[in-house]
Amino acid sequence: MAKIKTFRIILWIFLIGIVVGVSALYYVFNMPRRDVSKEKALYTLDAKQLISDFKKDESAATAKYIDKAIMVKGEIKSIRTLDNHSMVFSLEDEMEGVSCTIDSADVVANASKLAPLTKGSTGTFKGRCSGMLMDIQVINCVPE
Amino acid sequence: MNKLILCIALSLILFNAGAQNRYFTKDAKINFNSSTPLEDIIAESNQATTIIDVANNEVAFSVLITTFKFRRALMEEHFNENYMESSKPKESRDAADKMKDFSKAKFKGKIISPIDWKSEKQVVADVKGDLTIHGVTKEVTLKAQITPGKNKIAATAEFKIIPQDYNIAIPSAVKGKIAKEVTILIDAVYTPYQQ
Repeated sequence: MAKIKTFRIILWIFLIGIVVGVSALYYVFNMPRRDVSKEKALYTLDAKQLISDFKKDESAATAKYIDKAIMVKGEIKSIRTLDNHSMVFSLEDEMEGVSCTIDSADVVANASKLAPLTKGSTGTFKGRCSGMLMDIQVINCVPE
Repeated sequence: MNKLILCIALSLILFNAGAQNRYFTKDAKINFNSSTPLEDIIAESNQATTIIDVANNEVAFSVLITTFKFRRALMEEHFNENYMESSKPKESRDAADKMKDFSKAKFKGKIISPIDWKSEKQVVADVKGDLTIHGVTKEVTLKAQITPGKNKIAATAEFKIIPQDYNIAIPSAVKGKIAKEVTILIDAVYTPYQQ
């Protein structure tokens, strides 16, 4: 009798283990995308500062900023809409400034905040820094 | 001071000479596919920067690794942290890799087939140059379809790479899910470069 009882307990533990394991795997496999808009910016700085950090030592700046949530502020020099409907705001310099990309879904969600941001005005964007090509790219941005 | 003046003079000369010959875009599309019957693995970036100089047929192309988007967030994480190591902190990399720039992939080369930039007909051209992925540089020759034009140049290219060639380690647990060869597709529309 006692044997059957132990067996039952073991069986239950085993079953619960499987359910927990499978759901954990399922969650990890389908984990939600990182939402930078809900994160606190690790660095808040002027676009000019970010540009000078990268120009001074690209390797060190890349290590410092890559994949981090940052908030940058600067004069908007150009605004472009890409084929996939995301928008790119270039701060301080069109070629060698800071390019902030807003994904299409966030363009729609933040339409009222984006409306006053015209060429020549000052914009503040929070996003994830990807590093530098000619310009410094900040992706998954939202306007502040 | 003399050096500074020389630098300014040189850059002025270079800029004036090169201004009309260069075509440029910051919004080139690049996607890759390493799907197997077990798993669809497709990623795309819309933010590659590329430049063509029609005076000497030189082409340069670069893209930041973390701008690639996948269907699943988990794939993006594995891609950047484990395979390409673009978001992996320098301290946790192998000693030999500490100084390498894993944040971008680059191509620098030359169109080696004859090409008439004045015609507006599409041509298939060979482009030969150095491809750098994951800090490893290899010489490659790609076939590109190029459509010249006065106000814009369109170019596409498709080629395959083997991740192992670029020291990209794929754990045996997922080997069956990731294709041995990765197909890369490039799609760029260049406009005259004005500064």
